[in-house]
Amino acid sequence: MTKPTLSGLIKNGAIWGFIVLELIFFSVAGHFWSMSESAFMDFGNMLLLLKQSAPIGIIAVGMTVIMINGNIDLSVGATYALSAVVMLDSMSWPIFAGLGDWVIPVAWLLALLTGVTLGLINGLIVWKTGVDAFIVTLGAMLGYRGLVFMYNGEQPTYHLNWTMVDIAEANVLGLETPSLVLIAVVVIVWLLMTRTVHGRNAYAIGDNREAAVNAGIRVGPHMLLNFALIGFLSALSAVAFYSASGSVNPNDGTLFELWAITAVVLGGTKLTGGSGSIIGTFGGVIAIQLLRKGLGYIGADTETVNLVIGTILIAVLFLDKQLNRKGQEELKV
Amino acid sequence: MTKLNTAMLAATTALAGMAFAGAATAQDTWRIGITQNNVGVDSYQTTYESAFIAAAEANPNVEVVVLDAGGDVARQIAQVQDLIQQEVDAIIIWPTNGQAVIPAVREAFQSDIPVIVTNSNIAEDGFPFVASFSGPDNITQGRRAAEIMCTRFEDLGIQDEAQIVQITGQPGYTTAIERAQGFEERLPEVCPNVTLVESQPGNWNREDAQRVMEAFLVQYDNIDGVYSGDDNMGVGALNAALAAGRAEGITFVGATNFAVGYDAMGRGEYWGSIYQSPVDDAEAALQTALDVLNGEDVPFLNYFDTPKITQENMDQYDRPVF
Repeated sequence: MTKPTLSGLIKNGAIWGFIVLELIFFSVAGHFWSMSESAFMDFGNMLLLLKQSAPIGIIAVGMTVIMINGNIDLSVGATYALSAVVMLDSMSWPIFAGLGDWVIPVAWLLALLTGVTLGLINGLIVWKTGVDAFIVTLGAMLGYRGLVFMYNGEQPTYHLNWTMVDIAEANVLGLETPSLVLIAVVVIVWLLMTRTVHGRNAYAIGDNREAAVNAGIRVGPHMLLNFALIGFLSALSAVAFYSASGSVNPNDGTLFELWAITAVVLGGTKLTGGSGSIIGTFGGVIAIQLLRKGLGYIGADTETVNLVIGTILIAVLFLDKQLNRKGQEELKV
Repeated sequence: MTKLNTAMLAATTALAGMAFAGAATAQDTWRIGITQNNVGVDSYQTTYESAFIAAAEANPNVEVVVLDAGGDVARQIAQVQDLIQQEVDAIIIWPTNGQAVIPAVREAFQSDIPVIVTNSNIAEDGFPFVASFSGPDNITQGRRAAEIMCTRFEDLGIQDEAQIVQITGQPGYTTAIERAQGFEERLPEVCPNVTLVESQPGNWNREDAQRVMEAFLVQYDNIDGVYSGDDNMGVGALNAALAAGRAEGITFVGATNFAVGYDAMGRGEYWGSIYQSPVDDAEAALQTALDVLNGEDVPFLNYFDTPKITQENMDQYDRPVF
């Protein structure tokens, strides 16, 4: 693993600079175009932003680990949906009928278990067959989504439990449960990646798998763990979101993998693996949600939002390439 | 705070208006946010959006924030939260999922923002948090279809012997259940001697409806009328009858007049339907929101009119865009 380079610092700073730029733009533009009387930079609005970032943010943190590893996971959206279906459906299973509201933690546990299991399946196939993670998880994306549809056909799975909604909407210092979960996940996985052997190995494997094997790192089990982690986080994201909404459509979570990857890449993680940071990803997630929110705030429609995010993604990658090249030249001097 | 002031201002303006001018209403500007289901997925929803914006622009007392959830529940929930945050005066929602939006609707309710549901209603658990539902009355649509069918049989002089079949929408779907219910209630009242020999679901799908009708045609030698839950299925049934060479003697009646149904009526193959305009739908939603804001007595289920359309009066209606 290389020490943070100058270009790395610029890159890491870049996403936060971009966020500041967005905030300034939407605050100023909001004065002219927005119908709203409240300011964009309103504190409540920023708290809401964090909450709305949670579903994709939690997954994107896991995706960062996978991508630092040099892998990718396209099945997160389907895992998210299937975990949600298990969670909401299990609450009305007859075996849990006597539990009352204690069915809630049981349902959460089952959802998380589902996520971990699905992740383990992906990891095991990647490990044992050596097939590229892109292909394995592409298959899993279709397969897991198929399971979602098999479960309940085209119908939404529905279980409204007001106690669960109240837990999901509970807030500590203005931060609602999904925001707290997101922050906790970011901090814990950041510690995992920067302070533990597992984290250092993740960078080493992504950087040069051969060298990592030669250095005695057990690459297979390591990746298995990371796939279990992203499965867990996809399920956790579903738990945080669906506890508050109580109903899942069979096509929910479609394209989540792409939004997560977009956030990760915006945050400076390389598609080829070996470098990236959890905090950068957090910035990427915030930047995307800020764009969505801000463009809505000044009255742009959904199609425009997607167009702008797509354009910015390409611009960021281009900029990243330029900065990297400059960084290397500087090092030579 | 701002909202309270606005409300007080509105109230005092209204009071002053009543006191001094008698008929004047609150002249404050209302800010109304709408989050739609999925604009662009079909032309009904696309037309709905442009009609909504046009209606809002025509009214100087209304500012609208128009949002589209793109069929994504998570995005719709976020949009409702954004609208609450922006302190709009009322929220109109076209639910992407009649259940998942309930907690978001409750949040709006708890922030004292009235919520108007448009086009298709949310699940009953959410009713306590909704100010009003604006949309089509499916039971009336079913009843009117029965009347169209009966009048036609009377004109043909077969009201005492006619046999009909019914193709319903997706099982379990409220719209499907209500239309069938209205039709089955009304038919014996207007044409007591017409027999409904069988009902089968066509799942809102043209091919499914065609298959169901093919089976009916084999099973029954005498079919005088077909009632379908919408024109899409009605045209499927018509195609089956045309293929079997038996369309000539059958009266086809549907609901939600689709362009295909309208064209089939123009060709004289399809008899009648119920005209449901996205423009009326959108205007009714906005009007309902305004009525709620102006403190008028709005029924919880606020239906807009969906008139009968048959070969005889179809020239009074534009061809549907969907």
